[in-house]
Amino acid sequence: MAVVVSKEEIGKEEIEKFYQFCKNSINTEVAAYLEACVRCGICAEACLFYMGENVAGRIDPTLTPAYKADLLRDIYKENYTFWGRIKKLLGFGVKITPEDLKEQVKLVFYTCTNCDRCTKACPMGIDTPRLVSIVRGALTYAGLTPKDLAEATNLSVEKGSPLGVDVQTFLQRLEFIADEYEVEIPIDKAPSDYLYLPSSIELMKFPSSVASAVKVLNRSGVKWTMSTIAHEATNFGLFAQSREVTKEMLRRVLEGAKALGVKHIITPECGHAYQSMRFVAPNIFPREWNFEVINIVEFIEKMIEKGNLKITKKVLKERSTLHDSCQIGRRGGVLREPRKILNMLAEDFKDSVLIPEHNICCGGGGGVLVIADADYYRQKAFISKMTLFDKVGAKTIVCYCANCMLALNKGSQELKRDYKFVSIVELVAEALEDQS
Amino acid sequence: MDVALYDFVRGPFLRFALFVFFLGIAYRFFRVVFLGLPPDYARPKGNPYYMAVKKILIKPTMGWTFNEIFSRRAVNYVGGFLFHLGFIGLTFLVPAHALLWQEITGLPMPTMPNIISDILAYAALGSLVVLTVHRALNPVLKLLTGKDEYFANFLIAIVLFTGLLATRWAGSGYVWLLSLHMLLADLLIIYIPFSRLSHFIYYFLSVGFMGWNAGKRGVSF
Repeated sequence: MAVVVSKEEIGKEEIEKFYQFCKNSINTEVAAYLEACVRCGICAEACLFYMGENVAGRIDPTLTPAYKADLLRDIYKENYTFWGRIKKLLGFGVKITPEDLKEQVKLVFYTCTNCDRCTKACPMGIDTPRLVSIVRGALTYAGLTPKDLAEATNLSVEKGSPLGVDVQTFLQRLEFIADEYEVEIPIDKAPSDYLYLPSSIELMKFPSSVASAVKVLNRSGVKWTMSTIAHEATNFGLFAQSREVTKEMLRRVLEGAKALGVKHIITPECGHAYQSMRFVAPNIFPREWNFEVINIVEFIEKMIEKGNLKITKKVLKERSTLHDSCQIGRRGGVLREPRKILNMLAEDFKDSVLIPEHNICCGGGGGVLVIADADYYRQKAFISKMTLFDKVGAKTIVCYCANCMLALNKGSQELKRDYKFVSIVELVAEALEDQS
Repeated sequence: MDVALYDFVRGPFLRFALFVFFLGIAYRFFRVVFLGLPPDYARPKGNPYYMAVKKILIKPTMGWTFNEIFSRRAVNYVGGFLFHLGFIGLTFLVPAHALLWQEITGLPMPTMPNIISDILAYAALGSLVVLTVHRALNPVLKLLTGKDEYFANFLIAIVLFTGLLATRWAGSGYVWLLSLHMLLADLLIIYIPFSRLSHFIYYFLSVGFMGWNAGKRGVSF
């Protein structure tokens, strides 16, 4: 069952579908963004892909965020504005060629992580990720999702996870983690207050992260559980902007949470998981989605505040800095919490940005990491990220998103750097270790 | 004959221009507003309404906090700031203009001293020239810029230039110069709703939405 398709040939039908999707996605907010652009190009300087390319002295103006929305803008104009309509009537309308769509794939899937940094720099406040999402949705609707991303997305619908983790594998991995790290993991335990969902990246690549989360949850003394129905937190539907997939993945979470009767859902160290459950799900299931969704970092901060968790030991001795996950931080509002926790954990924590909202993305978000064709751009983006690490002279980087960690690790290896990326939850678990 | 033209561009033509301006801007604004919004059921983390108003009020001062962008694009920030300050200040507060607005609206208008309007005029014209040159040379801006931007910049520049010249001119042909200034200004007023110069009206929507989203997500910036 392939929900998301990746076609090689672009014909008339695909172009028409792309066009119609763009046309139907216009509302007041989108139109305001499209109309407001004053072509100042400041967004380029905020974009990590543009910045990274710039380091080598090679300027690629097509990486400018404003340019990414230009085809959408043209389509909007000829359908909604007075002059645009007249132009279209006279035969000067938008003519989309297959090459244009190929360029759009590069612009929105390879060189944008929906990190939202350009929005913050834009003098008109234009939410480019919002516009890029529409173009992504249109390309997916036309069947032009990049091959790697389409495969991962379909796998998540088919097996339950983009890495192919089905229920059996899920249980095997948890058993392994329980044995290896000597932790007790409640599965499908009702009644519980909290449902914790790991992401398959953590489960397969960073099992210690899951073990740490389990330790922290156990230590905090709340009634919590994992679920065999809602066992995957990531939502590749958001990457491909396929509403079908987004809905299906969220439906599983909803089903699992309902079956266990929980009131709170704790999302793992995964950006899009938080984004999808906190901000997207209530709009897909307006009546049924009655859960309080919090991120694990928020949860830890809340428990420290309540006195359930006490951090007394500084586990990080060396100079360290924080890498913010865009979807949890800048777009999710969890920026104060990780800093507060890290100040308790680290002896020499130095923030690489003056304002937390200014932090740079890892370069692998929004599905860019899984697309092999985007590797060149991702490596360039990593250079922009590196400047921040080097600015504060930190080799130890604390993260709170597994996808970020994966992307940063990959970038660091590819560019032969020796950064060490650690998860904040692991540090918390380590600090809690010797307490009785 | 020259007085007739003077009366025409100052009277009926200006009124026509303002009529087109308000009608055009209202059309452009409400066309976007009436497109509608989907409902949002996600519980906000902060206060979206407060943030929307706050961002509309303080957004123009926020770009400076991005100091690494500022260091690379000082031309845009400083030039853009000076130009907007000059353009808006000159349009309403120059004694000659204030008199005209007073005549049209019937309300008393504040004025500014000549020395300040001179400084603003030089600053606005200078920054407009610099911004246009920057636009023509910067690779990113080259890609983004269309004919519309150059035409708008050119039109504003000669309105500013003729206006500035009119304050210095003492010889014959003064009425002609003034008439030319006003004719071009009228054309500029008519041109605004048809071009990207109408961005000022979308500022309230776009920045309002940005603030609303910031409030929804509970971020301060």
